Amino acid sequence: MKKKLIAMLLAGGQGSRLYALTQSEAKPSVPFGGKYRIIDFPLSNCANSGIDTVGVMTQYRPLKLNSYIGSGQPWDLDVNDGGVYILPPYQSAGEKGSWFSGTANAIYQNLAFVENYNPDAVVILSGDHIYKMDYADMLRDHLEHNAACTISVLTVTLEEATRFGMMNLGEDGYIKEFEEKPKHPKSTLASMGIYVFDWQKLRKYLIQDEADPNSRHDFGHNIIPAMIADGEKIWPYRFQGYWRDVGTIDSLWEANMDMLTPHLIDLYDPEWPISARSPICPPHQVGSHAEINHSIVTEGCEIDGIVTNSVLSPSVKIGVGANIEYSVLMPGVVVEAGASVKYAIIGENSVVHAGAVVGASPAPGQQKSITTIGPDIEIPAGSTVKVGAMISSSEEV
Amino acid sequence: MKDYHGLIFAYYTDPKLRELVSMRTAASLPFCGRYRLIDFSLSAMRNAGIVDVGVIMQRDYQSLLDHLGGGKAWDMARRTGGLRMLPPFGLPEYHRGNYAGTMEALIAVSSYIKDVQAKYFVLMLGDMCANIDLTLPMEQHRKSGAPITAICTDRADAAGFRMTYIPGEDGYAKQLLVDTVDEKEGVLSLEAYIINKETLLELIETSHAQSLHRFHKDTLDKWLKEGGKMDIYVHHGYTALVRTAESFYKANMDMLDPDIRHELFPAERPVFTKIREEVSTYYSSDSYSRNSLVADNCIIEGSIENCIVFSGARIRKGAKLKDCIVMSDCIVETGCVLDHCIIDKDVSFSAGTVLTGNEKLPLIVPKGSHI
Repeated sequence: MKKKLIAMLLAGGQGSRLYALTQSEAKPSVPFGGKYRIIDFPLSNCANSGIDTVGVMTQYRPLKLNSYIGSGQPWDLDVNDGGVYILPPYQSAGEKGSWFSGTANAIYQNLAFVENYNPDAVVILSGDHIYKMDYADMLRDHLEHNAACTISVLTVTLEEATRFGMMNLGEDGYIKEFEEKPKHPKSTLASMGIYVFDWQKLRKYLIQDEADPNSRHDFGHNIIPAMIADGEKIWPYRFQGYWRDVGTIDSLWEANMDMLTPHLIDLYDPEWPISARSPICPPHQVGSHAEINHSIVTEGCEIDGIVTNSVLSPSVKIGVGANIEYSVLMPGVVVEAGASVKYAIIGENSVVHAGAVVGASPAPGQQKSITTIGPDIEIPAGSTVKVGAMISSSEEV
Repeated sequence: MKDYHGLIFAYYTDPKLRELVSMRTAASLPFCGRYRLIDFSLSAMRNAGIVDVGVIMQRDYQSLLDHLGGGKAWDMARRTGGLRMLPPFGLPEYHRGNYAGTMEALIAVSSYIKDVQAKYFVLMLGDMCANIDLTLPMEQHRKSGAPITAICTDRADAAGFRMTYIPGEDGYAKQLLVDTVDEKEGVLSLEAYIINKETLLELIETSHAQSLHRFHKDTLDKWLKEGGKMDIYVHHGYTALVRTAESFYKANMDMLDPDIRHELFPAERPVFTKIREEVSTYYSSDSYSRNSLVADNCIIEGSIENCIVFSGARIRKGAKLKDCIVMSDCIVETGCVLDHCIIDKDVSFSAGTVLTGNEKLPLIVPKGSHI
């Protein structure tokens, strides 16, 4: 079955900087923005862009991610001649199987999968970005410029540029140089880690790269520089709109807070729905003592405390007099009466018992410091969790 | 072969539901912010492992069909069996009006019943509001050996019941009081039954031959009087039969009580329903909300108190809603004051609209109105 464009989604990352939250699940399945998990964004973008074949490459603690994706039905990706496929590393006859050693190697190990569909082009996606993007538009741009590879880029400030892979353009507008986290940036075009490749070209470079024992088998470090060196046409696709990498606790918290500001990213737009697999619970209840301000709340929640500037996932329970401010509560979190949760991220099914204090607002003029509680942790009644702590087991409390 | 087959009656709609049923059957009435009444019988069957289910419908079933789809939400989209829609088909002329009773509806689908390879049928109403663990009456039915088991309740949380069974000393039904509600002497019928296939076919055949169309008044009453054995299973949880606009209003408002809600939506027996869009509800800094149930995909900028709000609502700054049911996709502009209203789907209120109903006579704003 020949396809024009298929997507390969890199979801194997461990997310080590989110440590407490990713001990038992891969980063792409970390809950996000109330109803979602991070991977809902690229998967929904695929569905909305008309891509019906998505390979999801997993290797780190994939159990939750696999069951979350399932048949792909929530994203309408359960189709006859395509669909969403979980692609773990595997062994071949006579060969030693191995883990994916880099982003490019992950695709290399799945050459046979891509070949099945013999696509004209492949879009490489990452499982830890929050954004809405039409990959079909990126493909159009790619084809119009007759490119071997098109890299989605964002305009950033020169200060921010030191944290990104930066693209330096030639006079013809094509990318001539790729610099990873440059000390002295020469441009303001940052790579978003989203690539469209001509499949035949990519195939050639993947095979070539695999043979190089010194390669890190990484798109940014190896494949793209090799293509530039060969004079291949690499076009920058200028993306405008909201895009966040949520690889750190601070960026995860900030991106969650962004969901409260509809002009940054409009989740209510029926033309570009972000879909999720969610349990079916009754609507959320606002109790007789509840006060909810500038927050998002979702099904199954029961709120009887004060919730301000916060993001609540399904089935969160907040007791009378509990105070939640600037926090992200993941599915099933319970905050009992009188407890206080401020500037915190609380993992799935954790319980903050009565009167406990988790995190605090920054003092005037001070930097905020996010307190993180992993999943399934009990914070004892009346206890205080140190501001900025990262708690990954109940013993640490 | 599967032992059980479900049949849900979704053809009957009481006119006392007024404007709420001008475009839909009672079984597809919206409930508790995100459900339709038929979700209860479908979920009860699904949770008991019964996924071969026929839904008997007769008219105004477009909204019901839209809700049921292929049955996916209840795991009833199966390669063999699964959910079957049973609108009227192949009927002789004299059956083409409204079904005169449940028995006429059964007669109308008797060829379907004959073809089903199952030992027992579970019959339920589509407009029942209760979370019944069917495995219990199923077990009781197998053990007792009675050809019919009536599912009854000792709770009458909202009006709408019509039949009472008086149990004898042996626990089997002794007498049926038709069009009588007497919770002191007996138990109220949920008009739900487990019945052996051959018994059901016999009853259908006899009733058809004698042109008897009322299941309770004619068929079951006669069954008991002639000494037929009928066991009784009593459900103890929240139960309502939604047959009037007032009971619709009350049953919805009952859901604001967390104890009742937890009884109707226990974690171990979820109520499944069609999934709509996936986005949370946003409360602005200007919003005020108390004692309300709010579905996803709403934007609340105004004030809500004692309300049930379905998905897609936009309650603008300065709007005030009290004791209201707001169905899907309604827009309430600034300055509106709505009190004791049932607002059907897709209604929009322009700024400053004031409407007041009361508990006994909630004001119904029909589907699609622009006010």
